[in-house]
Formats: sequence, C-alpha cells, structure tokens
Amino acid sequence: MQVEKFYYDNKTVKMFAYAVLLWGIVGMLAGLWVAIALYYPSINLGFAPTTFGRMRPVHTNAVIFAFVGNGIFMGIYYSLQRLCKTRMFSDVLSKIHFWGWQLIIVAGALTLWTGHTSGKEYAELEWPIDIAIALVWVVFGINMFGTILKRRESHIYVAIWFYIATWVTVAMLHIVNSLELPISFLKSYSMYAGVQDALVQWWYGHNAVAFFLTTPYLGLMYYFLPKAANRPIYSYRLSIIHFWALIFIYIWAGPHHLLYTALPDWAQSLGVVFSIMLIAPSWGGMLNGLFTLRGAWDKVREEPVLKFLVVAITCYGMATFEGPMLSLKSVNAISHFTDWTIAHVHVGALGWNGFLTFGVLYWIIPKMWNTTLYSKKLAGTHFWTGTIGIILYVIPMYWAGFTQSMMWKTFTEEGQLKFQFLETVTHIVPMYAVRSIGGALYLVGAFIMVYNLIKTVQQGSFVADEAAEAPALEKNIVPHSKEYWHRWIEKRPMQMLVFSLIAVAIGGVVELIPTFLVKSNIPTISSVKPYTPLELHGRDVYIREGCYLCHSQMVRPFRDEVARYGEYSKAGEFVYDHPFQWGSKRTGPDLARVGGKYPDSWHYNHMMDPQSMSPGSIMPSYPWLYEDEVDTLLTPKMIWAMRKLGVPYAEGYEYKANDDLRQQEQKIVTSLKGDKINGVNGKPINNKSIVALIAYLQRIGMDIKSAPKAQTAQSGQGVMGN
Amino acid sequence: MLLIANVFKKASKIALPLFLLFVTAVPAMAEGPTPPSSLSNPFVTLMVIIILFLAIIIFMMGRLVIGSGGLYLERWKKETEETKKNSAAPVVTTIVLLLLSVQVFAQDSTAPAPAAASASDNFGGISSTAYYLLCSVVFVELLLIAVLLYMLRVFAGIQKKKKAIVAATNTAAVKSAVPELSWWDRFNALKPIHQEVNIDLGHDYDGIRELDNKLPPWWLYGFFLTIIFAGVYLYSHYVSHTAMSGIEEYEASVKQADIEKTEYLKKSANNIDETTVKLLTADADIAAGKAVFQVSCFPCHGKNGEGIVGPNLTDDYWIHGGSIQDIFKTLKYGWADKGMKSWKDDFSPVQLAQIASYVKSLRGTNPANAKAAQGTLYTEAGSAAPAATDSTKTKKAS
Repeated sequence: MQVEKFYYDNKTVKMFAYAVLLWGIVGMLAGLWVAIALYYPSINLGFAPTTFGRMRPVHTNAVIFAFVGNGIFMGIYYSLQRLCKTRMFSDVLSKIHFWGWQLIIVAGALTLWTGHTSGKEYAELEWPIDIAIALVWVVFGINMFGTILKRRESHIYVAIWFYIATWVTVAMLHIVNSLELPISFLKSYSMYAGVQDALVQWWYGHNAVAFFLTTPYLGLMYYFLPKAANRPIYSYRLSIIHFWALIFIYIWAGPHHLLYTALPDWAQSLGVVFSIMLIAPSWGGMLNGLFTLRGAWDKVREEPVLKFLVVAITCYGMATFEGPMLSLKSVNAISHFTDWTIAHVHVGALGWNGFLTFGVLYWIIPKMWNTTLYSKKLAGTHFWTGTIGIILYVIPMYWAGFTQSMMWKTFTEEGQLKFQFLETVTHIVPMYAVRSIGGALYLVGAFIMVYNLIKTVQQGSFVADEAAEAPALEKNIVPHSKEYWHRWIEKRPMQMLVFSLIAVAIGGVVELIPTFLVKSNIPTISSVKPYTPLELHGRDVYIREGCYLCHSQMVRPFRDEVARYGEYSKAGEFVYDHPFQWGSKRTGPDLARVGGKYPDSWHYNHMMDPQSMSPGSIMPSYPWLYEDEVDTLLTPKMIWAMRKLGVPYAEGYEYKANDDLRQQEQKIVTSLKGDKINGVNGKPINNKSIVALIAYLQRIGMDIKSAPKAQTAQSGQGVMGN
Repeated sequence: MLLIANVFKKASKIALPLFLLFVTAVPAMAEGPTPPSSLSNPFVTLMVIIILFLAIIIFMMGRLVIGSGGLYLERWKKETEETKKNSAAPVVTTIVLLLLSVQVFAQDSTAPAPAAASASDNFGGISSTAYYLLCSVVFVELLLIAVLLYMLRVFAGIQKKKKAIVAATNTAAVKSAVPELSWWDRFNALKPIHQEVNIDLGHDYDGIRELDNKLPPWWLYGFFLTIIFAGVYLYSHYVSHTAMSGIEEYEASVKQADIEKTEYLKKSANNIDETTVKLLTADADIAAGKAVFQVSCFPCHGKNGEGIVGPNLTDDYWIHGGSIQDIFKTLKYGWADKGMKSWKDDFSPVQLAQIASYVKSLRGTNPANAKAAQGTLYTEAGSAAPAATDSTKTKKAS
C-alpha cells in the first residue's frame, strides 16, 4: 500500500473565516439597528435605506447568507479535505466560489438598501442576483463533488452526508422559489400568486432554516465536536436514522408557517403532523452530539471550543422542540405574528448558528496558524457575554410576544375588544429596549472574539498548504467485520445525492402539486378583480419599502381578528397577488381590510408623520414618498408581465393603462384637495409615489366587501370543505 | 426457569409497546368528544399531558425492572447450580411472580380503552364519564408506578443482600459481572465507557471513530409516539371529523361569545341599543365621550367636530339622521360605503351613548374651519327653529 503525500488548502478556509468575521459583525450591527428602530423609529435619520423595512432584509440576509453562509463554506472546506484525505478538487473553483459569494453579498446589500426586493422573505434578492447565486452554488457543488470523488477514504463520513443533502436541497429550493418574470434589470414578479405563492415561499423559507441553518451545521458538528473533544461519535446507527428521517420529514413542515391562513386545511394539517414527527430526528442530532461528550465533560469546563459547542447543541435541542410545539394550532394561534417567533428564531440563530460558528473559529484558527489561542480567558468572557446576551434577548421577546397576543385576544364582558392595537404596541416597547441590550451584549462578545483571533493570528504563522499523507484508495475494500447495510451507499456519493434528492422531493411534490392543480383548493370569488395600474404601482412601493415586514395581510378566523379587522381572509382574494404579501409579523396592525377604512387624507398625513394620526406609534415616517415619482414608462411592461402570469387584463390594455392611472390619480388628488391638502411645498402631488401607495392601500380587501353576501359565505364553506 | 424468563421477555417486548399504544389511544379518544378542539379544554389537555408523561415513566421503569429482574434471574440460577443452596428458590419465585405482575398490570391498564371507545360517541363536552375515565387512567398509571417502584426496591434490596454475601464469603470466583450503571445510563441504554472497545466500529475519519451504541429507547419510542400522534391527528380531522377545522373553531367561538355577551348584558346596565338609548347630560358622561372622540374620531371629523373628511358634526344637517338614536346607530353599525366604520367592537354600548351625547353637545359651537353642511336639515322633535347661534346651544330635547 503506497502512502501518498498531498497538501490541504488552508488559504480558502482562511478567506472564508475572515468573511465570517466581517459579515458577522455587519449582520449583527444591522440587527441591532433594526432592534433600536422598534422603539426609536427616527434612528432612520429620514433616509429610505436606513428605515426598518429595508434594514430588516439586510439584517436577515447578512446573517443567514453572509455570516452563516460563509461559516458553512469555511467549515466544509476545512473538514471535507480532511475527511476525504485530499486537497479540494480545484483551487480555481475555490477562488471563484469565494469571490462570487462575496460579490453576491455586496450586491445583495446594495440592492436591498436601494429598495430592490422581490418581496419574499429570506428570498428578497432580485433575479440577476438569484441567477448568480445559482451559478456560484453550482461551482461549489462541482468543487465539493470533485473532492469527494477523488477521496482517499473508502467511505464518506456522516458530516459529508449532511453536506450533500444540503447542497442538493438548497439548489432545489432556491430554483423553485425564485421563478419570477423580470420586467426590468432589477424588478420582477413572482411566477406564483396568492395562496400558491405563500405555500412555495414557506416551503422555501422553512427549509432554508432546515437546509441552510441546520443540516450543514449538523455536518460541522459531526466533524468539529469529536475532534475537539477527542471522543468517538456516540452512535453510528443514530446518525443513519436521524439523517434520513430529518431530511425526509423536514421538507413537509413548511405549512406550519401558514396555520389558520387561507391555505387549504389539509396542507395546514400536514404541516402540523410533520412538525411533530420532526422532534425525534432533530433530537437525534442533539443526542449524538451531547453523548459524544460522555467522558469528556471535564474538558468542557476547560476548553472554550467545547463550551461554545455544548451551548450551541443545547440551543439546537431547545429550538427544535419549541418549533414543533409552535406548530400545534392552539399554540400557533397565540404565538404567530408576535415576537414569540422572533425569540424562537434567535435561540436558533444566536445559540445554535452563532455559538457553533464561534466554536469552529476558535478551533481552526489556532490550528491553521500553528499556534494556540491567544487568550482562553477572553474566550471565556466572550462565552459569558454571548450567553447573557442571548438570555437578555429572548426572555423579553417571549414575554412581549405572549403579552401582546393575550392583549389582542382580550374582550370586555360587553363583548368589545379591550385594547386598541396601538395600546398593545406601546405596552411592549420597554421589552424591545431590553432586547436591544441583549443583542448589543452579544455583539460586544463578537468583538472580543475578533480581537482574540487577531491576536492569535499575529502570534502564529499561517500554514497555507498543510502537508498530509494517506494511502491511495484501493479498488476493492474488504470489510474487516460484519458490514452495516448503510455502508453500501457510503461508498457511492452520487447515489447518496440522488437518494437525498428523492427524500426531499417527496414532501414538496405532495404539498405543492395539488395546491396548483386542484381548483377547489382556491375557490374563486367573482368580485375579485385585477389591480388598476396605479394600484399596481402602489403595490410596488409597498413591496419596495418592506411594509410586509411589519404589517400582515391575513385576517385569521379568530373572533378577535374578525372584530378588529373585518371578515377573515379567503383564498380567492389573493389570486392576482404576485407576490403574496401576507407577512409573518404584526408589529403594526393587519392591513388585509384597510381599504376604505380611513380617508385618503388620513393615509397622506399618516405616511408623512405617523405619530400625528396615531400618537405613540412606532412606525417611521416616509417623507421620500412625497418626492419620488412613479415610473409610468414601466406601466405597459407591468401590465404585460401580469397578463403573462395569468392576470386577465385585456389585450392591448398596456397602452391605455396610463390613461386610467392618470384618472385614478386625479381622483385621489381631488379627494385630498377636499381635505385641504394641496400638495407638498406648493408643488402638485400628481405622479408621486404616495398617491400610488394610497390607491393601493385603499384597494386592499375591498373586493370582497362589494361581493354579495351569499357568495363570500359560500366561498368560505368551500375553504372549509377542504 | 431460564425458558420461562425468555418467554416472558419476549412477551413483554410485545406487551409494552401495545400498552403504550393503548395509553396513547385513550387520551386520543377522550379528546374526541370535547367540542372546541380537543386541546382547548384545559382540563383535558392537562390530563392528556399527565397521562402521556406517566406512560413514558411507566415504560422506562418497566424496562428497568425487567432488565434488572432478568439479570438477577440468570445470576441466581447460576449460583444455585454452583452452590446448590435451597434458599435461592424462593427468591427466584418472587422475582418471577413480580415480573408476571407487570404483565397483569399492563393488561389492567389497557382495560379502560375499549370503554372509552364505546363512550366517546355519546358525550359532548367533558362529561362525567369522560372525567372519570381520564382520572381512572391516571389512577391506574399511578398504581403501576407504585408497584414498579416497589419491585425496583425489592431488586435493589436483593442486590444489596447479594453484595453483602459476596463481600462476606469473599468468593473470588464470582466477580461482579453486572456493570455499575446509573439510572441515567439505563435510561439512555448507555454502555459503560470501559466497554466502548466492544462497540467500536473501526471507522476512522481523520481520527474520528464511531461507536455502535443502541438508539436511546426513550428517543425511539418518543419517535413512535409522534408518528401515532400524526395518525390520530389526521384521522380525527379527515376520517372521523371529531376535530374541528379552523373555520369551525371560529364559528363555535363566536357563538359561545354571543351567548356569554347576551347573558352578561341581561344583568348589566350596559344593555342599551339604538331603540333605548337616552341623551346623557351629566358632565362625566360628556367628558368620557369627548375623551374617546379626541382619540378615535378626530382624524375624520376634526378636533372640534368641524369636519375634515367626515361631515361637520356641529351644524343641523345630518346625512343619517341627527337624533340621539340615529347617531348611536351610526356609531354602532357604521356606514361602510361612506367611510364610517362600525365601532361596536371597539366601544361598549354605554361608551357609544357617551360619544353620541358628546356629539350632540357640539351642536352650534361654530368651530373654525367648519366644513359646509351635508345631508338634510334635521329638526329636533320638540324644538322650534334650527339652531344657528350659540344661544340655542342649551336647547336640548329628550
């Protein structure tokens, strides 16, 4: 058996590690910014790019795709080479991968700040960037599979199973959810509408959590935990069962983000039961992690890496138990749309992803610089600052979420809603303040880490190409003992890829296809008409400013919501919504029935200065909407795109659309004049974004109000029948 | 003797999952008859959680008892063969009897299940039968736990006695073959660390080895439980239709709320509607009405009722009538087509009367920037000429 010499590529790992540190700080700063904006809205300084609706996607995208994304690549590039006993397949591809991904991040941040968004949460980036993501992902895939194929290990380790499943599933999710029709370089409309768009979006959104934030990090855990603890993996059997069960079941659970909405009842139920069945497979990962530490708990007290990993795994266990509980309809009725969800995801993000990333960084940087960590004490300080930060973050959010939900649902004995919406907001503002302190502490911890790692780098000397040796892979491997059946696939990465794809495709197919093909899932309501051209423009403004990040458009069938907002939402109301705008958080009130509720002048004044119309409101003001003009040159393209997507505009309407737009605009201008609003600084307000936005707001939820009572009732039953 | 033990072990392997299945089926069936979603009845929910929790405890304890019982059975058998002591026999019998009693109790606890099934059709709400059923399941479970605890103590006692004998006689041949395992290790089916070599699979990935530990039993059976839950959930929604859909839950809650509201209003001074409302003149009432007006009405009607988008409320022209009853009705039901929303879900009837009375008190105040008159002239029954000046402000009727 000939021993071969080769070198591990540490340079790419180093680059990704630096990117993790940089984007981690940027993402957390953006998070702190939006946290403060919730009790001090004028932190936006009057600028559009720094307003909550645009900063929030910057925060989520930076943390998910920049911080955790680079963390995934850092961990995979380090562990994959060592698990395969070979250098990465191609240094050129590694470079393209690294710089491509960083360019995507920068482009993403810039476009989000300038208001270019597809309006779908966690998939906000516009179509050219979507294509770039797909291409870079393919580069990553070729590099990863190339490495696996030229490995010197006969079998692939459990960490690599998770990497493979991650790669194939993220590719599938990204492509299906990003199908959109471009109308300009940075503007497109989702291929799907309303209920279907919602289902695709949350199939994607939920599984982005599963296959971007969970499975790759489980892979990292399977490499770095046993290495750091120097203990064998507790149970190989558990690895097999929890891996396959996890990827198969996870994909079904998406609809639990849409409980009590207009999504067909059967799809909601599938979301519930698969979420519950997800507890054990998720906990399988936690158990395999924690039991691997058997006999090494004394090391946990000493070793900062292990401390971070243990808290990360514990947070993973808590979050994956809480998630299924939140998927029970009776719990979801309380938690959904509130800060409870925010607390839940931050246990996962700060605890699981954040702490695991920190642990890995503390492990690989001294290794790659051939030195020891500069200060274990500082790492300990980071650990405690971070832990206290998490606690101070999540407890106020749980409290706020539960309290606000209870206030929403409280009726007086006479049968009236006890609290106006605004009262429930001002009540939890102090909790928002405490939360931002928790977040700030966590960020301080991250800064301590950056300092500690810089010092470590300075005292060591970087090993760009780490020498290693291993025997060449023999053609025929004779097992030395009884083999598990699963060993078969561990020698065959391509089959592993195919079987993973099959496992994750089933759930999606069963849930998505009937929702698209079976008509009874979305009963039509004849009074629901396409938007007018001005309303379409207004809708684009609504999406651009990220209104959906604080306002839902989904009245759930609850007594309090019907009393507060109006008739509960029906599936048929959203058939022309490309994309859907149901939202997932109610920082402000629901807007599904806001049309006609207030006069035009109310909206005009409210967008200019929300506190003048709702004293105590935490909504920022939008002065630039009174300067921006609607791009009427785009109108024909918009109408054309909508017709392509199935909205029944008459042939040739695109050429008349702007006439209708002017007429409707004039109506609003006249109505504002009637209320003594004559323009901004003496200039006419025709053609300004605010007019289009008012037109859209006044339209939302109006169609069903004009429908004959019998019809809406019937369509309600149609939904029930499903 | 060994044969019996083996047979018993096999039987228990089947019996325990079965038992577990029944225990889970009982709450599932008991959940059926409660009207607004099984989980919305807090008592049922609590009991179901307790039942499930106890079931898991019983299951784990059962395993412990069987495990340790079986072990001692074999050991005692060996020892009796070696030492030919007669005293072993009664102990063995005790063990076997105790082990069998697990069976008996397991069967016992399954007994309520069919009863629940037959009863479930007849009860809406948490009837006394359902109540006693839930309680009896909990009681049986507690009884089982007590028995299992007793058995564990017996075995622990045997172990102690055994150790004492070993220590006393100092028989070198019989070194404790039974490893020292904590309850935690047993609970998770963990092998002692020094035995790890035996389950090392020989895998080596960059120095990472893998062990072939068994799946933690509670994890595995927990997984099965969630699958059973999924089955029961889907069955109750789409086959038996005992669980409600979201819309049905909504309708039930509104119906219930209406009943409670009517009951409350019957007994309350708040029972005012558009036919019985009277103009309030007390300062406190007018002030209360004004307070609400300043928060909720001003965006459309102006701080002083001068009218902005909504009509002027200080003149004698009314679109939907100007009597206290008319205004009350307008506030209560709204005129959605004209932009006036219904306020009945926001304010109580008394509050609505206060707001209406405040609005009436604005008559003739001639605020600045008053909007032009809209609607038709309204003349108060009993009053003479339309009000135009402040002097008529005090003229109030009915």
